[in-house]
Amino acid sequence: MVNFADNTAPDSQAKAGGWWSDVWLGLWTTLVGMRITLKYFFKKPVTVQYPEERMPIPDRYRGIHYLEQEKCIYCFQCARACPVDCITMEAVRHGKELEWISFSVDYNRCMFCELCTYPCPKDCIHEGKEFALVTYDRKELIHDLLTYRGLSDEAKVRLAEAEKEKAAKEAAKAAKAAAAAKPAAAAKPASAPGAGDAAAPPAS
Amino acid sequence: MSASLALSLWLQSARLQQQTGAALGSTTAPDSNWTLDLLEWVRTSWLSTKLAGLAGMDQAPALPTWAAAAIGAGIAVGIVIGFVSVVAMFSIWLERRVAGRIQSRIGPNRVGPFGLLQSLADGVKLLLKEDIIPSGADRKLFVLAPALVMASALAMFAAVPMADGAGFTDINLGVLFIVGISALATIGVIMAGWSSNNKWALYGAMREAAQVVSYEVPLGISLLVPVIVGGTLELGAASRLQSGWGGSCWFLFQNPFVLPAFVLYFIAALAENKRAPFDLPESESELVAGFHTEYSGIRFSFFFLEEYAAMFLMSAVGTALFLGGWNFPGIDLLKGGWLIAAQLAVFVVKSMFLVLLMIWIRWTLPRMRVDQVMVMGYKYLTPLSLICVVGASVWEVWAAVPFHERPIWMQLFTPVLVFGVCAVLGAMLRKQAIESAAQPTTRSRIAPRAHAAAH
Ligand code: SF4
Ligand code: SF4
Repeated sequence: MVNFADNTAPDSQAKAGGWWSDVWLGLWTTLVGMRITLKYFFKKPVTVQYPEERMPIPDRYRGIHYLEQEKCIYCFQCARACPVDCITMEAVRHGKELEWISFSVDYNRCMFCELCTYPCPKDCIHEGKEFALVTYDRKELIHDLLTYRGLSDEAKVRLAEAEKEKAAKEAAKAAKAAAAAKPAAAAKPASAPGAGDAAAPPAS
Repeated sequence: MSASLALSLWLQSARLQQQTGAALGSTTAPDSNWTLDLLEWVRTSWLSTKLAGLAGMDQAPALPTWAAAAIGAGIAVGIVIGFVSVVAMFSIWLERRVAGRIQSRIGPNRVGPFGLLQSLADGVKLLLKEDIIPSGADRKLFVLAPALVMASALAMFAAVPMADGAGFTDINLGVLFIVGISALATIGVIMAGWSSNNKWALYGAMREAAQVVSYEVPLGISLLVPVIVGGTLELGAASRLQSGWGGSCWFLFQNPFVLPAFVLYFIAALAENKRAPFDLPESESELVAGFHTEYSGIRFSFFFLEEYAAMFLMSAVGTALFLGGWNFPGIDLLKGGWLIAAQLAVFVVKSMFLVLLMIWIRWTLPRMRVDQVMVMGYKYLTPLSLICVVGASVWEVWAAVPFHERPIWMQLFTPVLVFGVCAVLGAMLRKQAIESAAQPTTRSRIAPRAHAAAH
């Protein structure tokens, strides 16, 4: 048979089989390829219908932050660790209680490096599994991580209790002082002003 | 679109001439022209007679012949456009779904049940898009090109016999007509590439021209094989010739050289339709989008629809000439309207199967290089198709009598051969599958130990 195949062409296989073998190989390799694609045709798709179904997200995924607000002490360590300075926070301290004003992460800048979570002394800032950040406005990308603002209910209760305790203490102290002052005043009225100064509670 | 209208008008008038006995040597069954029948029915209907009565006539006047032909052509064109669009949209949906599954995806499934209306939604979107004509473009040709491409697809539909006597026209040179009209689309493509004033578009068009010129040869020659076997160029008559054995005496089973000719025809049809692995005219990796780079909106959608319509048409011609047309075992048990409906269904299903095959091949094979395409066309397909023609002729001459008068062993030889070849190939594929499953994959052959040793 005449050898039609140009075996000097750079792409021709090293094994020059002649014209009929080329025809056979062309047909056979196509059939093998079609068998393989047919196999995949009947396999289950690996993709999922995204908004309804989701792929399982690994446990150590670095997504949008979440804050365990109760634990946070506003120590500022996370904000200082952040390489791009995207955490800002604001609060007012009332004795031991915090009045929350804001704790925001600017996702225009955040690169999900997770460096903010390690220095936290209370282990309360984490990166979650949520990743969808699409918005219509860049301003909306500044997320506030707080679940509530101002004082928490418990803190209010505690503050009120502390207030009451303090008031009770003061009342007790005042009563004591008054009780102590009476006999003293009765005993030696001359020293009354000095004793009164020592027993009187601070004005504030 | 006006071009397609004119073509169909011409076809209809050709049909009228045929009816008056002007056509020579036609084997068409002498059935009436149904569009004209429809007009006549409307004219003599109760409402028309009443209206004519109001106008003081006892019957509505008959339309002049030219007007009747024009209206009939209009109806026919409307039906063809509707059919072509539906078929093309379904093929697009099929392509995307099959592509999805082959790539382990799901594919479009949001619009309508199983995403069936996706193509419709895309069509609406394309209609609403801005229609851009590049400033350096040859405006007239740029506008004409998609219309010409679409018109060729529509005109081709006119000659395809979907069921016995239900085709639009059964031209007695149907095969020639189809081959000629399918080349018309190429002119549209070259026009688009030239007028876009874009180098990628022009490259795509030149590739298309080279490819079509090369592949028309094996396409035409391999189409000669069923023509030799059946002895007719008329698609409807060819389908009728394949109705023996209760509807299973297809040309594929009449001559052993029809099977290779069918494979060759199929490959050449892939190249004609610019389907992968022959989609060089629009190869995205090199030419952006090839000849339709500059097209957008509705004009682009014409090219897109045409591709799928042409796929269906090439498959329909293959069905009619190789795979028995509307014939299917047991179909002749039905009668009347049911028979026509069943024939239509069988024909469309067979053609859609071939379309599915084209899609399947597209998502299997990578694109070829330009020189490889030429080598394949000239060095392999053309000689092989010539061998098929010679072989088929020798077989027919040797047998000497029409198929049904041949000795029984000769009648049974080809079906046994065809099924034997299929069985052997199937067994080989099975063996190959088992072997390749047993073999470790390339990745695991590079053993981790060897990898570590290299470091
Ligand atoms: S993940 Fe990184 S960038 Fe984002 S807030 Fe934490 S430290 Fe800053
Ligand atoms: S480091 Fe932890 S405790 Fe300190 S402010 Fe940040 S989140 Fe709160």
